Amino acid sequence: MKPSRATSTPDALLRRSFLKKSGLGIGATALNSLLRAEAPATANQPALPPRCKRVIVLCMAGGPSHLETFDYKPKLAELHGQPMPKSVTENQQIAQLQGEADKLKVLGPQHAFSRHGKSGQQISSVFPHIASKIADDICIIRSMQTEQINHDPAHTFMNTGSIISGRPAMGSWVNYGLGSECSNLPGFVVLTSVGGGQSQPIAARQWHSGFLPGQFQGVRMRSKGDPVLYINSPDGITPKRQHDVIKTVQKLNEIGNQTLADPELETRINQYEMAFRMQMSVPGLVDFSDEPEHILNLYGTKGADGTFAANCLLARRLAERGVRFVQLYHRGWDHHGNIKQGIGHTAKLVDQASAALVLDLKQRGLLEDTLIVWGGEFGRTPMAQGSGRDHHIKAFSIWMAGGGIRPGFTFGATDDLGYHAVEDVVDVHDFHATMLQLLGINHEGFTYRYQGRDFRLTDVHGRIIEEIIA
Amino acid sequence: MKLLTYSLTLLLPGTCLLAATGPDFNSEVRPILANHCFQCHGPDANARKAKLRIDHREDATRDLGGYRAISPGKPTESEIISRILSDDPEEVMPPPKTKKHLTAGQKEILRKWIASGADYQEHWAFVAPVKTGVPGATDDPGVSNDIDRFVIARLKRENIEPAAEASRTTLIRRVSFSLTGLPPTLKEIDQFLADKSKDAYNNMVTRYLDSPAYGEHMARYWLDLARYADSNGYQYDTERQQWVWRDWVIDAYNKNKPFDEFTIEQLAGDLIPQASEQQRLATGFNRNHGITIEGGIIDEEYRTEYVMDRVVTTSQVWMALTMGCARCHDHKFDAISQKEFYQVFHFFNQVPERGANGFAPKQRLSSPLAAAGKAELEKELVGLRQKLENPQDLNALIQKWAAQVALQSQGGWEILSPETMKSSGGSTLRKLPDNSILAGGANPGKDIYEITARTATGKLTAVRLEAMTDKALPGGGPGRHSNSNFVLSEFELIATSLKNRTQSRVVKFAQAKADYSQAGYEVTRAIDGTVDHPNGWAVDGPTRKKPATAMFIAASPFGYDGGTLLRFRLRHEGNFGAHGVGRPRLSVTTGPADTLQLQGIPVDIRGIAALTVQKRTKSQSDRLKEYFLAHHNPNRALKERIANIEKQQTASFPETMIMQEMAKPRTTHVLHRGQYNEPGEKVSAGIPAIFPEMGEKHANRLGFAQWLTDPAHPLTARVAVNRYWQQLFGIGLVKTAEDFGIQGELPSHPGLLDWLSLEFIRSGWDTKHMYRLILNSATFRQTSSVGAAAYRNDPENRLLGRGPRMRLDAEEIRDACLASSGLLVKQLGGKSVYPYQPKGLWMELNNRPGYSKAYQQGKGNDLYRRSLYTFWKRSVPSPMLKTFDAPEREFCTTRRSRTNTPLQALALLNGPQFVEAARHLAQRMLIEGGQTVNERISYGFRLVSARVPRQPELALLRASYTENLQHYQSNKGAAIKLMQVGASPYNAALDISKLAAMTSVARLLFNLNESITKG
Repeated sequence: MKPSRATSTPDALLRRSFLKKSGLGIGATALNSLLRAEAPATANQPALPPRCKRVIVLCMAGGPSHLETFDYKPKLAELHGQPMPKSVTENQQIAQLQGEADKLKVLGPQHAFSRHGKSGQQISSVFPHIASKIADDICIIRSMQTEQINHDPAHTFMNTGSIISGRPAMGSWVNYGLGSECSNLPGFVVLTSVGGGQSQPIAARQWHSGFLPGQFQGVRMRSKGDPVLYINSPDGITPKRQHDVIKTVQKLNEIGNQTLADPELETRINQYEMAFRMQMSVPGLVDFSDEPEHILNLYGTKGADGTFAANCLLARRLAERGVRFVQLYHRGWDHHGNIKQGIGHTAKLVDQASAALVLDLKQRGLLEDTLIVWGGEFGRTPMAQGSGRDHHIKAFSIWMAGGGIRPGFTFGATDDLGYHAVEDVVDVHDFHATMLQLLGINHEGFTYRYQGRDFRLTDVHGRIIEEIIA
Repeated sequence: MKLLTYSLTLLLPGTCLLAATGPDFNSEVRPILANHCFQCHGPDANARKAKLRIDHREDATRDLGGYRAISPGKPTESEIISRILSDDPEEVMPPPKTKKHLTAGQKEILRKWIASGADYQEHWAFVAPVKTGVPGATDDPGVSNDIDRFVIARLKRENIEPAAEASRTTLIRRVSFSLTGLPPTLKEIDQFLADKSKDAYNNMVTRYLDSPAYGEHMARYWLDLARYADSNGYQYDTERQQWVWRDWVIDAYNKNKPFDEFTIEQLAGDLIPQASEQQRLATGFNRNHGITIEGGIIDEEYRTEYVMDRVVTTSQVWMALTMGCARCHDHKFDAISQKEFYQVFHFFNQVPERGANGFAPKQRLSSPLAAAGKAELEKELVGLRQKLENPQDLNALIQKWAAQVALQSQGGWEILSPETMKSSGGSTLRKLPDNSILAGGANPGKDIYEITARTATGKLTAVRLEAMTDKALPGGGPGRHSNSNFVLSEFELIATSLKNRTQSRVVKFAQAKADYSQAGYEVTRAIDGTVDHPNGWAVDGPTRKKPATAMFIAASPFGYDGGTLLRFRLRHEGNFGAHGVGRPRLSVTTGPADTLQLQGIPVDIRGIAALTVQKRTKSQSDRLKEYFLAHHNPNRALKERIANIEKQQTASFPETMIMQEMAKPRTTHVLHRGQYNEPGEKVSAGIPAIFPEMGEKHANRLGFAQWLTDPAHPLTARVAVNRYWQQLFGIGLVKTAEDFGIQGELPSHPGLLDWLSLEFIRSGWDTKHMYRLILNSATFRQTSSVGAAAYRNDPENRLLGRGPRMRLDAEEIRDACLASSGLLVKQLGGKSVYPYQPKGLWMELNNRPGYSKAYQQGKGNDLYRRSLYTFWKRSVPSPMLKTFDAPEREFCTTRRSRTNTPLQALALLNGPQFVEAARHLAQRMLIEGGQTVNERISYGFRLVSARVPRQPELALLRASYTENLQHYQSNKGAAIKLMQVGASPYNAALDISKLAAMTSVARLLFNLNESITKG
């Protein structure tokens, strides 16, 4: 199906600016046709050979502790209960432990680690499924760093590459650059799972399109009520009646346009058609009755109930249908206290389904062109905050899989205490640059002019982490 | 190549087309230099490479030791030419890694420019406009006012004829939306069509300028700029009350407050000598930024962010400058240094505020839209307070009351202390300290409480049953059912003599009274001798959740000398299940039946009242006084009324966040990398050197605001009129309405922009005058029906060869449907309201206990107010508005995008607001529209689009009506369902099939492209 992206006039103009900037020569005739009708999908093919076509981000909101998940620190266990060395913490930014700088004590890892798979990756016991099923499929990055120590700005930074409001989310960027492959679903879908025990608020701006046109914003699909807002026809309106309304609207629009010839109208007609296709297709998308028992069991879900497991299965169904960017928020990782039980609880909610998503995509041949990212907005302190850990920005762990990522590989390292990422440090811009690279987009040439400046997802930074690319 | 050539020439100001001397610096050369060179060789001193800057002629042409970067007149001797032409990757400029390649054409422009002498010009926007002649002839038939002379002169150069004038119905709809954001009413249309006078159009414009809806509509644009919201942003995004400031904006537009005053009051109203309350209120503008309440943040970090926001917003709104770029380093393109940024920062850095919970300073200020009502309340309050202060002789009042009590026959309620409590169904019954009995545990379908108690008194006349509430009960009680209700099917009593247990009788009740009974479940049903369904006393638990009291009056006095054992049975056996009384308390009395009150005076009080004043002990007097004040305080009514008024005042006028100046100024430093904790050089207030100096003005916010509105300022007027133009035409004369700097686009009609801005200043910053001027131009009145070629050649209508045409903004779309359906509630100003929104949206994203709340959908009128009053939650904006491109209001927005998406179609087709409005439109069509179906359809068509439908349109609509009518005639159930969408009841007097069929036609009308387009 043709992309639905470049259909309206203002959009076509913006697209022209992107095409110009991305150095793709394009003649006036082609340009002319762009302004009027849908563009051929090839017109905006990325300059680089793409390794993947779509991205699924499993956003572990709240800041999962790297020290209880993917970053094994025996030294931390040794020093458990002892004062945190001042040399490590001096002049470092601290969130809730402000004012306790003199009393900081080391908290040893609260869960055991062991090696898994042929690759022998170190994974904690809170993730039995990830450890036993996909250790050889994932690439663990233990040397992530971010700049923001509070949840909301840290998410904003992770999603947009900036803490300044109004920058587009990465999903919007990707859809702007590559268009949608899907004629009956939005190209950027956001899911938020229920359950998890914690409730860090998450703002819709995390998936907004910023200065990019509104059609690139993320569309949230819900597990309760209408899965997409206003997707259901009003009470008392049958599908046939609804279709008749749309058909008649189009006929009337066409009559109105005979004297006018407004190109915007053609777009509107197309959008009404797509709206109807969405109405027809979304119920089937969220209805899992066509999934066999063993697949439901693989994820550990009984049906589309908004749990993380159900959303992982939904993410796979979205990927199958060509949705370019899926972002799945799971809240519950903000373990300021009682991290031992807390992280065990939250991990249990996501472990099986995270592994299942990788396995399921793999068995369908979709993993090779789907990039999966698993991670939060920051990590947690090696120091105790009571029985928990505070926010921490100098080191955290994420993993990626599929889509051109080197499998069964651990990249980067932190110091002995897991405080600073010290080896092969990866910052948020590097992550974005690498993700775009895998999608076939050169992050340095991928710009959008706004307020007189050519903006990039990676701002003026970003290093492509070649080492983790297969 | 036609299109490309075309768009290039479009950007050239008129004069340079004829220039034979070389490329025009502002329009041709600087954009190339800015895009490719200034990043490293521009105003930013820190980023500058090779110590070379080429944004200044003096620097660029400096002798660099035998050679020059630019050697005027000698391209071959200019280093930059040899560098841009070089093949050597080490030599070539721009360096390959910047990916900023120059085209051959661009290189040639630079070469020609140097050859012609390398003349620099100042950036147009930084030079104040000067009065020049208006081009073209005054007697051109297409000219209505001077605006058209600029436009026609430009069109003539392109050999384009202006379009003809649009039809009158198009014009009134265009003007109505432009000035009020609402469609014209049929009365307004008919009046305009009937007005054959020369001034008909201008009169029509005047009517809309005078409408209160004008202020609402204009305020709506201003709210985007002012990043107004009803929530605090950041993570928790809790509620704030800043709507009184919004009322100020509406009022200011309606009063046509001159733009200079409008500016000064919002930026520095508090600093105006003897500032009025309303001038202080105006300063809410710069408190509309987000404010965090998150724990673990650093105060100064966020306070700094708030000040940053003010600088960024203020400079964008009044100067269309991207000052924020100079926060961390010198501006890369515009000559604003980082130091200068912090000099402006200093003006806004003087508010006595903090970062966390930084809501102060704030003040309770009245809304200008509610001033009249406020005065009335104030007057009443003064009177009431006077009354309260008049001392009353309390002792005399008490004695008068006590005498009355003493005269009354004995009585009062004796609260019984239960001895035994049994539940037939297994509930636990527990005695509480106040002698009430709390039921808990199992909640059986049927239950009989058997309660015994003793009283020493004989000759009892009545029993009182209090059904009390309790936190432990479902919903707080008073009943045990999950809906808080109870159904007492029968109340029974057996009295036994304590002296002689064989003496016993069943007490027969003659009357029952209660302070509350549910309809159909009157208290008398608890003494009617039957437990049949439906039978018993109930109290509307699901909705009321309040205690209730009943009294059962015996047919004859009962009880025994020497004490009585009372055995009560509270039977819950109606066919309801689990409907027990949650917390009963029993009392008895000896008072005569005709004097009994549900709440009697306690026995001890009666006793004291019966004594003479002299005989009362001190403690007895105190007890009497205490009781009197608690129950009969003569001031209570007065106080309640005062409290009510005060509450009303608080509710009408919450505290509004405003600006204030610290007594002792805060020092301001340049912040290294823009970081709050990396202060550098100390700076004082000042403005960037590229602008005219402040002169004698105070170096504070007031001086800054006065400087902005000084007629010599090159930007303020231009930026404002450009936004007016953008509102009316969909795109400004400068397309980048938010950026007039070097990287912004050049004006399509520079002469016109300058002429308009000078006219704005000359008129005394008269905003309505400017709207009238533009609306009266022939340019604005052109038709937009011009055929495909015109759209292809000039998609954005930059040349103004046709009339404006654009999709309506989100708020306009909703308001238009409400207006044409007759649902719109035209109430000016006030608190934000909560119209329809899919359930659960807020809590799904933000459910932090103690901070979050669910969306409380409004009722009645609140569902049908104009969209500018819709509660604006930053983290979860109204989905309907957001779908149609409304911003989040996290920051200042000058231009909204205008997209066209399937989600918009879904919202319009399926959103309850629109389906309900369609039903109301259908009702109007059926009731007001005439006798025939065609008349009715035409009527609705006109309400929505202002015009009469053409024959083929009518035929399609008619066919749809007929088909739907058949459908609904055989599917009445579906019709009823459709009629029940929305909170308002449907008109049951109308034939439901016809109404449903017409509702379908009305949905069609709302979904037409024409309906959501201003054309």
